[in-house]
Order: sequence, then structure tokens, then C-alpha cells
Amino acid sequence: MSHSPILRGVSVLLFTGVITAGVGILYSSGSSDSESQDMQPVSFSHAWHAGQLQVDCLYCHRFAAVSATAGVPSVQLCMSCHGNLIEENAEAQTLSRYWHQQQPIPWVRLQRLPDFVYFSHEMHVRADLNCTDCHGHVERMSHTPRAASYEMGWCLTCHRQRGASLDCLTCHQ
Amino acid sequence: MNVKRRTLLKTAALATVGSVMPGCRQHVDHLIPYLLPDDEIIPGVDDWYASVCNECVARCGVLVRTREGRAKKLEGNPDHPVNHGKLCVKGQASLQSLYNPDRLRHPFQREGPRGEGTFIPLEWEEGLRRCTQAFQNISEPPMMVTRPVSGTLARLLSDFMDSIGGRLYFYAPDAELPLHAAWHESMGSDASPFYDLAHADYLLSFGAPFLEHWLSPVAMGIAFGHMRQGRTTVRGRYIHIEPRMSVTAVNADQWIPIRPGTEGMLALGIGQLILDTPLSALAGKVLDRFRGFYGTVRLDEVESATGVARDVIARLAHDFASARAPLAIGGGAACSHTNGTISLIAINGLNALVTSMGRESVARGLRQDETRLERSIPWLTEQMVFELVEKQKEVDARPALLLYGCNPLFTMPPSVPIKALFERASFVVSFGSFLDESSEYADLLLPDRDMLESWGDHVAESTTQTIGLSQPVVTPLYDTKQIGDTILDLSRRLDLGYVQAPTFYDLLRERWKTFLADKPHDETADWFESAWIASLQQGGWWQGPSRRALPVNFAPSREFEQAVFFGEEHEYPFVLHPYPSMALGHGEGANRPWLQELPDTLTTVVWGSCVEVNPKTARDLGIAQGDVVRVTSPFGSLTASVVLFPGIRPDVVAMPLGQGHASYGRYAKNRGVNPAELLAPALDTVTGTLAAGATRVRIEQTGLKGRLAMLERPTVEESNLITIKPH
Repeated sequence: MSHSPILRGVSVLLFTGVITAGVGILYSSGSSDSESQDMQPVSFSHAWHAGQLQVDCLYCHRFAAVSATAGVPSVQLCMSCHGNLIEENAEAQTLSRYWHQQQPIPWVRLQRLPDFVYFSHEMHVRADLNCTDCHGHVERMSHTPRAASYEMGWCLTCHRQRGASLDCLTCHQ
Repeated sequence: MNVKRRTLLKTAALATVGSVMPGCRQHVDHLIPYLLPDDEIIPGVDDWYASVCNECVARCGVLVRTREGRAKKLEGNPDHPVNHGKLCVKGQASLQSLYNPDRLRHPFQREGPRGEGTFIPLEWEEGLRRCTQAFQNISEPPMMVTRPVSGTLARLLSDFMDSIGGRLYFYAPDAELPLHAAWHESMGSDASPFYDLAHADYLLSFGAPFLEHWLSPVAMGIAFGHMRQGRTTVRGRYIHIEPRMSVTAVNADQWIPIRPGTEGMLALGIGQLILDTPLSALAGKVLDRFRGFYGTVRLDEVESATGVARDVIARLAHDFASARAPLAIGGGAACSHTNGTISLIAINGLNALVTSMGRESVARGLRQDETRLERSIPWLTEQMVFELVEKQKEVDARPALLLYGCNPLFTMPPSVPIKALFERASFVVSFGSFLDESSEYADLLLPDRDMLESWGDHVAESTTQTIGLSQPVVTPLYDTKQIGDTILDLSRRLDLGYVQAPTFYDLLRERWKTFLADKPHDETADWFESAWIASLQQGGWWQGPSRRALPVNFAPSREFEQAVFFGEEHEYPFVLHPYPSMALGHGEGANRPWLQELPDTLTTVVWGSCVEVNPKTARDLGIAQGDVVRVTSPFGSLTASVVLFPGIRPDVVAMPLGQGHASYGRYAKNRGVNPAELLAPALDTVTGTLAAGATRVRIEQTGLKGRLAMLERPTVEESNLITIKPH
């Protein structure tokens, strides 16, 4: 069987094009297997806790109003509620297991700013920003994904709208 | 090979995908929450604790920045009367003592032959049991050698050694005992010397490295700043006299390269010229005792011995006598000779002399607090080592040896029989945090906690009565025990009964309760709790008014004597000038990477040892920069690279101390050489401490080129070189 040179050329181009497009998609998505990488050791649902149960963000991320970092809740804080509940599902059992083994939960970090950015949760909470303004409506998400990258332009849009400082040294100290 | 285009494309595509795929993976960070939250910790917010720096005897106050329970940074305590918010490089690097990977993490017991450094881990219970057993079995009084400590720990160690019938000794290579002995002789009091640099307007320093590591260097640095630039009316002048131009000397208006060991001679010459002025005749008989001391040498002898021209001596004498507040200080190189104390008597006496002639006294004695126990604790001088070994050999005694916070096997030269003291000991226990040359000789290692994990109080030498309070700022990283607690535990096991406190913390609080009870306080039931917390927050207790200075009274009981050198001049033509490295000191800082990577301020040499040679000497010997030379003394020999250094007399070679460790952890080990190996067992005739500058050496080419790491290669111009007139 023989193919025409044109057909062969097209198939080669298609093949390399598919490969290139595939690689491009992987890059643009930021992760080749973001799902598995963002998989938390305990499948925590913001939709359930923050949405259904309406637990205040600052109840668990209790340092956001007083510190640069919002903080993740201690295992003891989780257990302050879950200790009184029947182990209703597999995830709650996983949590209990960490507690009984006296091990901290190795949460996967989803948000991270580069080291050259000075950011403080405290200032933004004091400026009456809602958590959702930056973090999106996590109370509607059963699975919290890795956030879109916080780029400078995105920060500056908000700073401009709210009349916040645009001095370079505000964030790049 | 016949590769088809299709195969090539397939392979290329696969290779592309293969090489790109790993890049697509994102780095996964974890957020590890607390299991149980600490109420005092807010992640991302600093907690500051006041404490005391433990790196030298100055005892500066520090503030430690901690975050999430980890100590991050040390700063000077702005309220502290010693350092006023400043902190030296050693203090900054003390974090690397806490986090040092070579720290002893639990007790150890020797396994192989003594001195080989092979140990097996042990539980604390077992370690303390073995130590107790060893003390129960001994028939001779044990001896403890510790770095100088003060406050509650000094009292505890002293009481412990008394109750087991032993003897406590202090040892520090930088103790400058001649300084204190000379003060006693020249000022006629037991007071601590205090040099009020800040208010001097003419400073004559005979080798005192006060901007490097002398007495209280941070306080001295602040005072020096005030002397030079802190007053609108006067900028104090400063003349430095030393065979080598030190970091301190480069800050002087003039550096006078004097012949080693003749600093006292020069002081005699200056004193003599001052006594010859008409002004002194007015003072009358009060100066007779000075005439008796300063008139023992002729001026031409001074000129030829010191290598300092008569007109220079005359100018120094004139300027010193005519200054409003002149100050002469001596230390460092000036007291590291066999006549160290005598030289310092002559130097200190200049202050007494001008004071007697009506000048303002800025060299003062600080009245001692009667309760300062550490004044009565003897020092383990090199002479004492000779005597102890001889005495032990005579009666075949083998006392147990307790070791804490010092490394005499490294800092004392091998020509002093310190090793015999270790080898003869029936049992050696070390409480140090690191395995070093000395603790390798231990049978048992019961590691102390780091300063940042410990409680303690420390008395600082200052015009303000100051007692620093140190507190743990982090949870102890390892299974270690503070020496105070180890001693208390041993005391209970030995049923010594001299102290009831269950822990060192309780003992410390007890003593502070008694101490603060005499001071003004609230008359509430819990007054001590609030006073204790206030002291912890402040970093200790200090209170004016300033301690009263004592009047000086020059009454030397000795006559002047000349320095003696070891080694014949024709065979060993150079005097060796070993000096403590500004960063590594006598070697105690060598296990801190930050200090290792700090280049020497003058030569810019980093990470190694060198021999500083005057370029003229090097030219005469045919030696070039970086050549490896053999430095030989009558007592030892070692090799190091040459650094051409114009700031040194041509008849002197200098070597920094601090390197050359055979132990002491990964950062210190097998790096450079230890010049102490060359030193003769020369002793100061009064105090019996090592006269480190009394050894002559020769230098020989090895034909090798060294790998000397330097920040920059200095250019040595002929016009920059000093000229020293032959006499």
C-alpha cells in the first residue's frame, strides 16, 4: 500500500501538532494531574462546612484577622466538633484516625504567593474584604481546587478600584 | 544506521514529551497544622523574648525573635545597660549553636579507648546512675573545670563541688588574668577595672583589642563611638601600640608598631618623661612612688628596646600629660608575654600618674558586690596545670574530672601538660553540648541545653549593677538536660542535701525571690510573680545609680622586668604573634558556618589559616602571596599559606587562632591549623597564665602553593609599607 507524499506530510504534521497541543494544554492547565496533586489527605468539603453548616471562615482560619497567614485549623479544633459526632462517614473516620494516632494532617497547600510578595491577611481583613473576594466562593465547592494564580495585575485591579496603595514597596518590601 | 524519517519523528516526539512531562508536575507544598494549638503562638506573628547572650563574659542583653515556636533571629536588647540594643557577630551567630546539626542530642558513654571519640548513646537515667556510681566510688576529691559562670549556676556548681569535697576551677583562654592582677597592683584595690572610654579625650592603647573581643566589646564599641563622634566639643584622639595592626588598631589615628614584649618598657619611658615635666614637680612628694617604679630604665634603653624613636615617645608623653582626660589601656598582645602583668602595671600606672597630677580619671575601679562568689573561684592557669600534674604524679592521684563549656585540650598548647590531666583522671564527665577535642576524652557525656533553651542569670561587668536573666525561648530540640538540673539530680542521688530545689528553675526563682525582696516592690501577696515576670520581660534586673568608682592608689609591689622569649633569635628569627580571630575567637566559634564564612576584616582570608608576613620580609625570604610555608618553633611545626600583610613588623609573623580543630563538628573539623601547637610553655610571671606571644619561630618554603580563599587580593604598594628604623 502506498500513500501520497501529501497525505504522509499531513499525517506527520497532525501527529506533531497533536503532541504539541497536548503539551500546551498540560502547561496551560498548570498541572498534568492537578486532581491527584490537589487531593487532600482528608476530603474536606468547604461546601458542607462553610456552605451548609455556615461555619464562619475565621472560626477555622482563625489567624486571618490578626496575622499575615490565615492558618489552618489544628486537629484539636476539628475534633472539638467531630469528637462529639458519630463517625458519620469515611472521611470523618480518617480524621479520627489522625487524632487517635496524634498525627497532624498533612494538608496540601493550594495557595502560595511568591517569596518576593509581601502579603498580609490581617490588612485585607481589616479593610473589610470578604474572603470570597480573593478565594472565590469556596462555600459552594465540595472540592477546593488549586486557585488561579494571583498575578500582579489582578491584585492591582482591586487596589485601583478600592484606592489602595499602588506603591511598589507596599507589596515588594 | 538507516533511520527512517518516520522513526526519527516518532523518537523526537517521544523525547519531547518525555522531557517536558516532569516540568508539568507542580511542586506540592504541605500545610502542617498543630495537633494541639499553643495559645501563645499565632502563626505568622513574631514573639519576642528577652534573654542573655552566652557567647562571651560580657553578657549582653538580647531579644530573641521567635515564630511558630522557632528562634529566628537575635537582636540586642535596647534597654540593656551593657549593649544598648547592639549585638556582635558572635551573638548573632549563636542561633547556629541551637540549630547546629552536630549538637549532642542525648547522653553518651565512651565505648573504645579514651580519647578516640567513640561513644554509644545512653538513656538519661542510665547516664545519671553511672555518674552517681563514679562519684560514690572515688577516693580522691574530684575537680571541675568550667568556663567562667556567674549567678545561680556559679553558686550551685560551687556548692556541689564543696559538698563532694572537690575543687571548682574556671578556665577561659581569653580571661586576661594579667589585666585583673595588674589592676590590683597598680590601683591598690580588688575592684574590677573599668575604662571609661566614652569620656576620654586621649586614648593610648597598648595592644588592647577593645573593638574585637576584649572585656565587653560591644559596650567598648559604643563607648569608642561616643569618644570619637559623640561630643560636639572634642573628638578623642587614639594612638594604638602593637606589633601588628589589628582591626582595633586600624581605627586609631596612629599605629605604632612596637617590638613585641616591650609595651611595658614604652610605658616606663612615657611615665619617666611625664615625671620630668615641670608640672609633675608641682605635684610634689605624691609622685615619689611613681619615680621609684618608672625610673628603673634609661630612656635610651627604652628607645632601643621598643624600636620607637625618642621624639615619638616624647610626643606621646606630652600629649598624654596635657590631655584633659587621658586614658592608657593595655591588654591583648601587651599582656601575652612573660612580663604581661608587669607591663600592665606600668600601663595602668600612667592613669594613676596623671590622676595624681590633677587630671580627670577615666580609668576607674568598680566596687565589687560582696556577694559575688565567682571572684573567689580559682582559675585553671597553665601554671596550675603544671602544678596539678606534678602533684598528682607525686602521690599517684587520679581524681575525677568534670568538664563544662571549655576546650582546654584545644586552646592550651601541647607543651602544657593538660593532656596528662585528662589521661590521669579516673573518670571524665563532660556537660558540653558538642563533642570537641576535650570532651572526646570523656567517659560520659551528659549534654547541656543551648542557651536559648535554658534558664539562668548572669552578672555583667558594667557601671550599672546588672544581672541578666535568660529564659528558654524554644522548646528543647533534643533529649538534653540543663547542667543545673543535671547537678541537682546528681546531688539528690548522692544524698548531698545542700539544696532542696527540685529543678534549676525553682532554685533560680528562690534566689531571685530573696534578691528582689530587698528591692522596692508591691506589698501584695503575689508581689514576686509580678516582679519575676517584669524581670523576664525586661531581660534581667539593673538599676542606677551607677556604681561608685574607687579612687586609684598606685602601689606596685614588683619591679619592672623584661619579657623572655622561647627559641634562639639566630635560629628562630621571628616572634610569633597568635591572635584570636574576630569571628572564631580561640576556636569556640569554629562550628558556626556564619562565622566560618566571615572573612577576616583586614586580610579578607576566609575558611582557613594563614601566616601574615610583612612584604619586605617575604621579599627577603623569596616568599610570595599564597606560598605554603612551614612555621617551626622549638615546640612544634605546622604549614600554612602566606598572606602578605603590610600591617605587621618585619620581625614578627602573625597567625589567627580558631581553626585547626580535629573534632568539634563538621564545620570546624580538619580546617586550617591551630597555632597553639607551636607555643612554648611560657607563663606570665605573676598570674601563671600562658604567655602566648613569647614564642619565636622560623619560616621555610615548602615549594607548594596554597589554596587560600580570600575576598579580595590586596595590592601591596611599596609606598604603603612601614619603615622600621634599625636601632
